[in-house]
Amino acid sequence: MASLTVRKNADNLSAAELKALRAGYAQAQTIMDNRGYNHFAGLHGIPNWYCWHHSHAQGSTANANLFLPWHRAFLLYFEKAIRDQSPQAPKVGLPWWNWSSAQSHLTGVPKAFSVATVGGQPNPLFRARIVAPSATPPINRMTRRFPGNPAALPTQNQVENLLNVNQFTDFTNQLENIHDGIHGWTGGNNGAVGGDMGSVGTAAWDPIFWSHHCMIDRLWSLWQLRHGVANITPALLPMVLQPFGLKVQDVLSTSALGYTYAVSFVQL
Amino acid sequence: MATKTKARKSAKGPAATARTEDRNYRAAKIYKSARRVALDELPAEYVRADLEFIGVEHAGASYEARVYVNNPTADVNTEPTEGNGYAGSFYVFGHGGCFGDPGHCDVHQTQRDDFDPRRSHPLEPIKKVVVATEAIKAAAMTGSSLNVTVVPVVTSWTEKVDTDDVLKFDHINLVTYF
Repeated sequence: MASLTVRKNADNLSAAELKALRAGYAQAQTIMDNRGYNHFAGLHGIPNWYCWHHSHAQGSTANANLFLPWHRAFLLYFEKAIRDQSPQAPKVGLPWWNWSSAQSHLTGVPKAFSVATVGGQPNPLFRARIVAPSATPPINRMTRRFPGNPAALPTQNQVENLLNVNQFTDFTNQLENIHDGIHGWTGGNNGAVGGDMGSVGTAAWDPIFWSHHCMIDRLWSLWQLRHGVANITPALLPMVLQPFGLKVQDVLSTSALGYTYAVSFVQL
Repeated sequence: MATKTKARKSAKGPAATARTEDRNYRAAKIYKSARRVALDELPAEYVRADLEFIGVEHAGASYEARVYVNNPTADVNTEPTEGNGYAGSFYVFGHGGCFGDPGHCDVHQTQRDDFDPRRSHPLEPIKKVVVATEAIKAAAMTGSSLNVTVVPVVTSWTEKVDTDDVLKFDHINLVTYF
């Protein structure tokens, strides 16, 4: 347990953890090669379009929804890339944004991600630069975000009902539907144009993307605690999650991947 | 055990702009089912009733689709409550338009054979499901038929996409389970 990375609630990070997280994001955002933020964001939508949403055919499997395992692998690789760039201890895991909490229903996006500057410096958790020269037209600008009314976010009751869904496909579809709504809510619009979280193509550049998906992954993890780690459509198990080289069966257990969402460890 | 009934899409209603709550949402063309489903087509008992939206397109803007039963005048200003026949919402996370070269977003440009290891096109139309059990049962308590109205509320978009005609799908299934 002690060797596992603990992914924490974004509202509960210590000052040191927040500093380490910002340092990792800031450094990664300066790197344009395959270690950097721009590279990983570009794996999701523009320009590489590896992201898996809803059901698709792949190989001999006609109706595969890899939304949850694909994003689990995506977060894992991103987390490792960020931690590689964060020279300060402690090594912090990706924080999750609990959009169903009472706090989120008051303030929306967590404060750590909604302040534009920290100590007089641009906050790398607030926005990032999109550099996508192969897009049509090319994109080179900072991300934009226009969140909606916090009262409209999903409730804890909705989350609890979701966790009680027994069947994996049904759970995936209902969770993905909530996920889709959060993207539209978070991107929002300023009357003229939408924010980047509202479009698949650019969503992953907004730093809140990773914490939104960390919450999605956490909910899958909590569902697995209730319904079984291996509770998944068997035909999905050998499917490969591009471009990570992992199969679905490789990402079922968060502890086997080196992290946990546990909120406390008490040794008696 | 599931039973299905089908309703074909026919988009009707003028576009409008409006603000809901305190957000800058855009209203878009509303769908009203052309066919009323006779409730005696449904089984006498069921524990769950889903409205399945088949072939939903998701290449454009992101929106919330508010689904109403037996409220053909529902629009973006209608409060989504049980009393107004609100059954639930599905959400579309749109791709934001095409950022590739010509043909990049054409779903049927490539022909797949049985040996193709690649994933099918990301823009293939999708299925969205609204668990509408309470709304369907409420309709059965008060009448002998039901229709479906879907009110899209556009939340986010890029400069590349239309926000007026966002709601596109092939048909709706009403599926019950016992």
